[in-house]
Amino acid sequence: MTDANTPAIACRNLWQVFGPGAEKALTDALARSGGDADKAAADLRERGYIPAVQDANFDVRDGELFVIMGLSGSGKSTLIRCISQLLPGTGGEIRIEGENVIGASKKQLTELRRKKLGMVFQHFGLFPHMTVAENVAYPLKVQGVGRKERRARAQEVISLVGLEGREDSFPRQLSGGQRQRVGIARSLAVNPDIWFLDEPFSALDPLIRRQLQDEFLRIQATLKKSIVFITHDIAEALKLADRIAIMRDGKIVQIGTPADIVLRPVDDYVREFSKDVAKGRHARVASVMHEGEGERGPDDPGLTTTMTLDEALAHCMELYEPVPVRDKSGAIVGTVHPSDLAAALQVDET
Amino acid sequence: MSASVDVLPVQSARLTAGSWAALITLVVGAVCLALEPIAPWLVTWPAAWVLPATDWVGTGLAWFLNGIKPVARLFSDIMAYPMNWANFVLGKTPWPIVIGVVTALGWYLGGLAMASLGFFGLSFVLASGYWAESMNTLALVAVSVPVALIVGGAIGILANEIPRLKSIVQAVLDVMQTVPTFAYLTPLLLLFGFGPVVGLIASAIYAAPPMARNVMLGLERVEHEVKEAAIMSGGNRFQQLFQVEIPSAATQIMVGVNQCLMAALSMVIIAAVIGGFNDIGWEVLLTMRKAQFGESLLAGLVIVVFAVVIDRMSGVLATERQRHDTRVVWAILAFAAVFTVAFWARLPNPSELTLLDPVAQAVDQGLTDFTLTNGAWLDALKNNSMFYVLLPLRIGLDQAVLPFTWGFLWTPAMSYGLFAAGALMALLMAWRGHVTGGLTVLIAVGMLETGIANLPWPFVLTGAAALGWVAGGRRLAVLSVVLLSTILVSGLWERALLSLYLSGAAVFSCAVVGGMIGLASAVWEPVWKVVRPICDMLQTIPLFVFLIPVLMVFQIGEFSAFLAICAYAIVPMIRYTRHGLVNTPDEMMEAAISSGATEWQIMRDVRAPYAAPTILLGLNQTILYAFAMLVIAALIGTTGLGQSIYLALGQADVGLGISAGAAMAILALIADRMVQGFAEEKRKALGL
Repeated sequence: MTDANTPAIACRNLWQVFGPGAEKALTDALARSGGDADKAAADLRERGYIPAVQDANFDVRDGELFVIMGLSGSGKSTLIRCISQLLPGTGGEIRIEGENVIGASKKQLTELRRKKLGMVFQHFGLFPHMTVAENVAYPLKVQGVGRKERRARAQEVISLVGLEGREDSFPRQLSGGQRQRVGIARSLAVNPDIWFLDEPFSALDPLIRRQLQDEFLRIQATLKKSIVFITHDIAEALKLADRIAIMRDGKIVQIGTPADIVLRPVDDYVREFSKDVAKGRHARVASVMHEGEGERGPDDPGLTTTMTLDEALAHCMELYEPVPVRDKSGAIVGTVHPSDLAAALQVDET
Repeated sequence: MSASVDVLPVQSARLTAGSWAALITLVVGAVCLALEPIAPWLVTWPAAWVLPATDWVGTGLAWFLNGIKPVARLFSDIMAYPMNWANFVLGKTPWPIVIGVVTALGWYLGGLAMASLGFFGLSFVLASGYWAESMNTLALVAVSVPVALIVGGAIGILANEIPRLKSIVQAVLDVMQTVPTFAYLTPLLLLFGFGPVVGLIASAIYAAPPMARNVMLGLERVEHEVKEAAIMSGGNRFQQLFQVEIPSAATQIMVGVNQCLMAALSMVIIAAVIGGFNDIGWEVLLTMRKAQFGESLLAGLVIVVFAVVIDRMSGVLATERQRHDTRVVWAILAFAAVFTVAFWARLPNPSELTLLDPVAQAVDQGLTDFTLTNGAWLDALKNNSMFYVLLPLRIGLDQAVLPFTWGFLWTPAMSYGLFAAGALMALLMAWRGHVTGGLTVLIAVGMLETGIANLPWPFVLTGAAALGWVAGGRRLAVLSVVLLSTILVSGLWERALLSLYLSGAAVFSCAVVGGMIGLASAVWEPVWKVVRPICDMLQTIPLFVFLIPVLMVFQIGEFSAFLAICAYAIVPMIRYTRHGLVNTPDEMMEAAISSGATEWQIMRDVRAPYAAPTILLGLNQTILYAFAMLVIAALIGTTGLGQSIYLALGQADVGLGISAGAAMAILALIADRMVQGFAEEKRKALGL
């Protein structure tokens, strides 16, 4: 096991450039710009190269759910493929549990994937000629695990994702949501330490998507994997993430907790994303609190640092008395308690 | 109208690329025609300038072939074992067992429909009395197909694994598709000597490319994420390929198996031309030569039955299939065995069965009667088409118009009159804004006056360059000129022009007629219901069989060849035209309807433009089909390259065979690239 200080994944100055002879082009461009990533990227673009990931730097801590968010074409899918080494990476460093995987041999990578990595795909990537159980057991089969043992393990993860009874169905006989459950089960078959999810719920209907998100959180609560999760949906990112990295045109523009992203966007681009988001749901009291004893009034509605702003507001409102409500003519027709107003504005937590 | 007149000066001041190309071609053609009296070398390439390339190719190849002959002979000796074995098994197995096995296989693959197809198909073969010959043919197919599948599959997989190899393999496959079938045979004849092994090897060579192509395509089309999932599962390359990618591509690979089978069957029958083997193709050829058309048709039908049975049964593999009860399979097999044992002594020798002979004779008789009673108008049809259409196209109005045929002699004055009329029309069109169209009309008039076979070579080269330039830019133009020049200097030019004329005429007819049938099928469903099975049938029938009916009615000659080519080459035109027109996106149709367009306006303004790239691809296929059939049609009398290839086969002249084959391939390749270029342009213009 790794010691607590080693991040599960560490990316340093990671580049993925597409084009002929990209590696040399990148080195040259960096030399010309004197190490300035933005200038180097512009330089590469001018020469007809596509810098899909530019100078990415971040850590994913052990057991952390790290979400990478961006619009299509922002390079998020390329980035996750770099980390999982489906793409080679043009420059920089990726350390998985301390071990640099850029330039690792094919054999080392295969070994790494067999033991430590699992991945879920946007369009499921299920093998059409295999049953659900065979799909799920495939990562075990390639390592030479015996038939009985792999069927037993497959059964375990199939139960974990709630697909009991569909073991012998073929992917084409399943609904979209069920297919992705198979995808998730397959990625967990070898009990990996690191879990990649590439827009796993984007291809699903909104209702199914929410169901799977919740179930995903439930699974994660028990398994505590280190996760890289890709999405283009800010609400999904805010709901799931421990930390979020926002990407634009191949660059990571901000990394922070959901509250950071909502309350302290670094630029207009990030602000634009969080505009439509109900901030009260995602920011917590800690993020707006002034530290220290400070000056304060006599009331104490019992706020804690981990309350969302919505919850805190509702608590504060409870201090007030009910107030009158009038009709058009000005006659009093009823009363309302301010805390009920605050509660009505809250979105139901599921 | 007034608007177009207003913008006219601008248009004429800035000619489009197309008009420039047409203009240059026109000028070169006019100059050649004008200079003909003083410089005859401008029209016909002088014999003195011809390089003996054919001989060089012959000598070089003969040397090379002799070098690898020992290997080839060894290979042929090895192949003789499975062949004799297959022959023995199929020949000695009692026919009830063979029919039983095929019926059972049919049931297993496709249930009752396929089982009855197999049963009745083979029963027909049995009744025809061609059982032994059919089994010989089947034995050849049975041995050549596994070879083709393994070789084709291996090539496909290798090309997929080694990206650098891919483009090379693609190019080679493209060329192999255009090299005419007969051209393979001559060098093989030299290598392996007369005998069935040549047919075997030829059909294996001919059948491997479709397999390779489909394997490549299938592997390429495996969903990206499925491939990635296999990698992330920790499979090594071998596991990824054989456990995930190939099984995922199974459907496409099965299409390859189907095409491979059909190609092998087709080639085995064509290879009968070299003789020496008592198979069904040989039977067709023999009866055809003896003018026993009834028997010939019967033998031809046997081939068609085989083709249909093999095609439909293997076609099932490529579709999703439901499982059929295997107990029925065992029951059928058991019944066949019991039947054989019970009637062992009384089983008739299939070769002596003559159940259908009366039919054949009746057909023969009926045909004789038919041609006797209808001879007048059949001849008229044939002669009119020849004299008024094909011949002028071939040698030009100036030579084709004779008192004997047209009732008057063509005079130079008439030529000038024709040119003047053409010029007038061109001007009119240019005035209306269609500069390129006008120039094209003028060029067409000139070609009609001169005849395709007599076109001056600088004009042809310029025209090809111009077309290539418009269709695919400078590279295609250069490629066309260089390739055509090799034909020119090697002395095959005249024959190439003759081939060009016949296939051109056939392609043109197919485009017009097939386009109209396709249109009718697209707008009116009942038409398609009738046309579709005919198209399916025509595409299943091996090339060779097309010759029989046309020969029966129109005897040997260019017109019969023309008809045979048309019958074969029209199918893609019909299919693609309909497909293109029918597949207009619903939203586009709805937008047009809600704009208030009539049926006809929708067809003209929305469906036709949208279908244009698809229709062009159909035309492309039609051209390739026409070239393929042209060589086969040489059997019933065409001139040109096809005939040369056929003659070369008879004389075992490798140089001529390969050179003429290469020339055909060049023509087909250039036509292919040009039409593809235009199709690509249209697709881009539509943003597809």
